[in-house]
Amino acid sequence: MAAIVETRNLTRSYGANLALDSLDLTIPEGAIFGFIGPNGAGKTTTMRILTTLLQPSSGEAHVAGIPVTKDPRGVRRVVGFMPDFFGVYDSMKSWEYLDFFGRAYGVPNERRGALIGELLELVDLGHKRDDMVMNLSRGMKQRLSLARTMMHDPRLLILDEPASGLDPRARIELRELLKELRALGKTIMISSHILTELAEMCTHIAIIERGRLLAAGHVQDILRDLQPHRSLEVRVLAEAERAEALIRSAPGVLSVRRTSAEPAVGAVERAPANGGAARAEDELVAGAVEPDEPASVTFEVQHEGEPASVTFEVQHEGEMLLVDFGGDERGMAELLALLVSNGVPVARFAEQAGDLEDIFLHVTKGIV
Amino acid sequence: MLEFNPILVKELRGRMRGARAFVLLTIYLLILSGVTLMLYAGLAGNIGSDLNAGRQIGKALFLVIAAVALVEVCVITPALTSGSIAGEKERQTYDLLVASLLSPWQIVWGKLASALAFALLLILAVLPVMSLAFLFGGVSAAEVLIALAGLVATAIFYASIGLFWSSVTRSSLGATSFALGTVIMMLLGIPFLVVIFGLVFTRDVSSDLLESAVFIYLSRLFIATHPFIALGVTETQLAAGGSPFFETVPAAGAEVLVPSPWLLYVLLAFLFSALLVSFSVRMLQPTQPAAVPVARGKPGSVRPSEEGSAES
Repeated sequence: MAAIVETRNLTRSYGANLALDSLDLTIPEGAIFGFIGPNGAGKTTTMRILTTLLQPSSGEAHVAGIPVTKDPRGVRRVVGFMPDFFGVYDSMKSWEYLDFFGRAYGVPNERRGALIGELLELVDLGHKRDDMVMNLSRGMKQRLSLARTMMHDPRLLILDEPASGLDPRARIELRELLKELRALGKTIMISSHILTELAEMCTHIAIIERGRLLAAGHVQDILRDLQPHRSLEVRVLAEAERAEALIRSAPGVLSVRRTSAEPAVGAVERAPANGGAARAEDELVAGAVEPDEPASVTFEVQHEGEPASVTFEVQHEGEMLLVDFGGDERGMAELLALLVSNGVPVARFAEQAGDLEDIFLHVTKGIV
Repeated sequence: MLEFNPILVKELRGRMRGARAFVLLTIYLLILSGVTLMLYAGLAGNIGSDLNAGRQIGKALFLVIAAVALVEVCVITPALTSGSIAGEKERQTYDLLVASLLSPWQIVWGKLASALAFALLLILAVLPVMSLAFLFGGVSAAEVLIALAGLVATAIFYASIGLFWSSVTRSSLGATSFALGTVIMMLLGIPFLVVIFGLVFTRDVSSDLLESAVFIYLSRLFIATHPFIALGVTETQLAAGGSPFFETVPAAGAEVLVPSPWLLYVLLAFLFSALLVSFSVRMLQPTQPAAVPVARGKPGSVRPSEEGSAES
């Protein structure tokens, strides 16, 4: 994939404060590029330089091969920018808002009318065409802003924290919309604090702190490379002890923990001491898993003021082994082969989904 | 097809929508016609019934209407433009405009033209009231045309002052205060300086200097920066039978030919306007590294208008 954004040694300072420090960033065309960093890390500064709103102190930035400092108009033609606030005019209708920015980007009159209708449909605001912009909800304004950035059919969309302040539904709608835009062939650069969401949505991410790039690349690569080790979930139907021993002997295994597999809720109720059945409204006094009898759980409850006890029998469907694994994917395959070839009935062998938040905390230091 | 300036279209749509423009125009005309009515009532009782009575009433009506219209233009036009660019910064739409394909010149011109269009509407609305003076006679076409030229030049000049402050400041309230402050300083400060210079120069300075051509030109130019003085002096000259374009001033040795003050005023107004507008255009360029970043607010922050760099 060709790079649509390329920066080299991009530096920008505000007086003595260095906002961007020799940033080398590459965004491949067609990517959804997540830009992550704490507040004040330089995300907005980078985005403002790429949208020609700010000039770098030194270094170069190219968008679609066009240098941002030498040909800002050329860059503006291929970039659609949505800042982290809504720029909304009073006394303006939704279609007029799009019409105005269409004119501002030189969209010809004969194309503008149809385009406004199409974009309003795309962002699901067709029914709000004649509503005043200021009366729209936050999510609607956000979607209208997105339609605005699309007016001149840019190749690159730069969205600065588009999901901030949106309710979950609006956020999901926005995410779906971004997927649609990607399907239309747009490259999307998006900054966000909601990391789990970025992991779901983005193909690439970059982590930035204090103006320095800490990590960048494909989401899966980053997750793999930056996680100190993998967590493997192995569920065996029997021979848990032998499986544990086998796993311990394998190379790259850091530790193994044996836990009960998810209990099936085939709980058996035992009669309380004073007769009468314990009920959900009974007050729980104490509960304990008896160490000698891991297959049952006993709860002390208050039943109509009298003490009683209820024991649930936990029906195991095998045992779960949690493995901290320092090896790579080949090592994982070898581990599985080892278990299977030794006749261990493996029901599940999976890597626990990596969490971008862990990575973020791991990589950044929290200094601004 | 030639497209109108997008900013102009947007501003005119916004300005003429709703009751605001209508109310402003109504108040403006009420003040003007109220003053006219009171003046007429006062004059009709005092002036006798000689042959020149009509002419005197006509002249007085014309002068007062022109003066009131000028005062209103002086106050309203800077207010029309002072909110223009600062308002975009307040509404956080400034970045969107600058990041679009609109050139700074298009943005500034669109803002100025839309304000001037409304100012022109105000000036044209004066004409029916002013035409009352024609019923009485005593007013020449040259006087009316010069008054119109003065009003239009003032509208452009003072709108540019508002635009300049709007491009410099961050809030429209600040821009309006600075713009009206500048207008008041000019309208009161220039006559004050004229009086001071008059007192000092006539007493201590030799008449050679006072009658030199350089002094005559400089003093006329200075006076001509003030719309009321420039237009007032022109009116007295016209009343005395002078040319509407030139006057001859007796100087040491020979007579000096000086353009009429209104002509100088119109020229100066255009010159200053051009300077102010070009400065405003310069202010709209992308932020240079040395400059302070544009104050912005994060949506989640407590004070959205918080000063300083909320960069992330």
